Amino acid sequence: MMNTRCIHPAPVASFLFLLAWLVLFTTGCAKQDQDVVFSSKENVLHLFNWNNYIAPETIGRFEKSCNCKLSQDYYSDNEEMLAKLSAGATGYDLIIPTGNAMDTLIRQGALKPLDKSLLPNLGNINPAYLDTPFDPGNKYSVPYAYTLTLLGFNQEKIKSLGLPTDTWAVIFEPKYLEKIKGRVTVLDSQRELMAAALKYLGYSVNDTDEKHWKEAANLIVRAKPYWAAFSNTSYIKELAVGNLWVAQGYSNDMFQAALDARNTGRKFTIGYSTPKEGAVLALDSMVLHRSGSRPDLAHQFINFMLEGKNSAELTNLIGSGNPNMDAIQYIQAEIANNGAIFPAPEMLNHLEMLRDLDRKQRRVLSRLWTEIKLR
Amino acid sequence: MSRTNIWLWSAAGVIYAFLYVPLVIVVLYSFNDSKLNAEWVGFTLSWYKTLFQNTEMLTAARNSLIIALSASFSATLLGTMAGLAIHRYKLKVLPILVFTPVAMPEILLGVSLLLFFLQVLNLTLGMVSIIIAHTTFCIGFVAIIVRARLQGMDESIFEAARDLGASPWQTFRLVTLPLIMPAVVAGALMSFTLSIDDFVITFFTKGVGEPILPIHIYTMIKVAVTPEVNAISTLLMLLTLVMIIIAARLESHASSSANATSRETG
Repeated sequence: MMNTRCIHPAPVASFLFLLAWLVLFTTGCAKQDQDVVFSSKENVLHLFNWNNYIAPETIGRFEKSCNCKLSQDYYSDNEEMLAKLSAGATGYDLIIPTGNAMDTLIRQGALKPLDKSLLPNLGNINPAYLDTPFDPGNKYSVPYAYTLTLLGFNQEKIKSLGLPTDTWAVIFEPKYLEKIKGRVTVLDSQRELMAAALKYLGYSVNDTDEKHWKEAANLIVRAKPYWAAFSNTSYIKELAVGNLWVAQGYSNDMFQAALDARNTGRKFTIGYSTPKEGAVLALDSMVLHRSGSRPDLAHQFINFMLEGKNSAELTNLIGSGNPNMDAIQYIQAEIANNGAIFPAPEMLNHLEMLRDLDRKQRRVLSRLWTEIKLR
Repeated sequence: MSRTNIWLWSAAGVIYAFLYVPLVIVVLYSFNDSKLNAEWVGFTLSWYKTLFQNTEMLTAARNSLIIALSASFSATLLGTMAGLAIHRYKLKVLPILVFTPVAMPEILLGVSLLLFFLQVLNLTLGMVSIIIAHTTFCIGFVAIIVRARLQGMDESIFEAARDLGASPWQTFRLVTLPLIMPAVVAGALMSFTLSIDDFVITFFTKGVGEPILPIHIYTMIKVAVTPEVNAISTLLMLLTLVMIIIAARLESHASSSANATSRETG
């Protein structure tokens, strides 16, 4: 009968172990809850942002200036952010969406209009980036930073092969592609790749004429055998290491690749330039979400970011484009003089923002894309 | 070594290499002296230093650990009960209820839980909502494992215990639980792993202002994944390894004491 009372050490030990955790967790939770209750009374600004899209020193200075705390949540994709907000997530004062996502937010009535009397620094923004088709008159949005879709390349290699670097022809024309076969990648994105092809053919990136799309698709199919891959992220590393010679990609990424190639003492340099035919410009803007409880702090933040010194820090950190005219003086000379990050005024007319397609157009494009991928 | 044996060993070697080489590379590259981490540049410990100064990343790791431990604990408790019940009674509805979250696409689960929390429960999203969500999809996994273990068992053991005068609770405590312990531990570990690296459901059910590790890492991909991510992954791997060792210890302990019990009672 002894053994009916004998206690098994294993289950008991594990139960105790888990119980200890439960206690720890509930105390943790209680503390957490207190924090939450407490924070609504406290000065906290909730920002829903891309990761690494504001310099740490900027955050520190803003927190000092407003005597509040900046708390960030991140998304990695506009669609992700839209999905979460559409499902009813609340508590975000500020969001930094890209043009077409902002369009959606405005149409859903998810944003609060700006009070421009609280934004005296608004005049610092270059008028070229104001009054976009997404938000006429900037009722809701203030430009934050932008990215261009352009060409990055291994400068020495391209020079030795005698290829041009200022035209989309490098990724579409077989006469150039022959020399760099298997050393080129393009973006794995229907819209971005089609936009480059449409631009090269002399059309708008938002052209929806099916005949023109067909032409663009044929151009892509003809060039495809020469490309190494469709790549959205890996091209950064491959360029920096020297495996790739030409890539279609985003200006921020090219900046990172160039920086890394330089810091690790490579024997080549990574250059990047905006093709003369024109390119896609993606503008991220600051907007106020309807559910935010601190519009006062949100306006304070926007006005703070409109000071040149503050917005320059992000450009110096990740090489993003800066729509702020006052910021130029604080930006490192080599970035400020880089035509691929700060396009010349005549180039600005060739840059376009992608608009959303309607359902029927999306279907047509998806079908074309499938054909392209299968060929 | 016969010929078949050599083949078997080399096949096993290839499969294990396929599983473990990536992990070894992750660990190695946490010591790499390059921000972009594209190829090996030189040895440095600076990423660990950066990590320990990065309060946001550490808070995210702490939150993820608290969530994983709480969710795996409650899922193990409930999942074990569910597994026992499904095995013992011929129920129609319960198995469907328990196993559905396992088969459901994550994005559906995430969005529907978010709607449920906000519209029905009127809950403020936070750690609690994530723990409830994670528990929900882990219960099914635990129940499946526990039920599978029970199905392979001889019912007469439990009948014998009752014949010898054990109350239902004693039967459970002294016979059933020690016998299913390996499955319970396996279920707990599985829940822990599922919870700590879940992105989709966590993204939807998290509130504002609490960093959670998988989301933090995933959103870094957009800009640049620094070796800091490798560093924190390495530390988490170490922790997981320790947990697995403890679980293995417990299991061998449980089985040996269970054997002892059956010998003594037998």
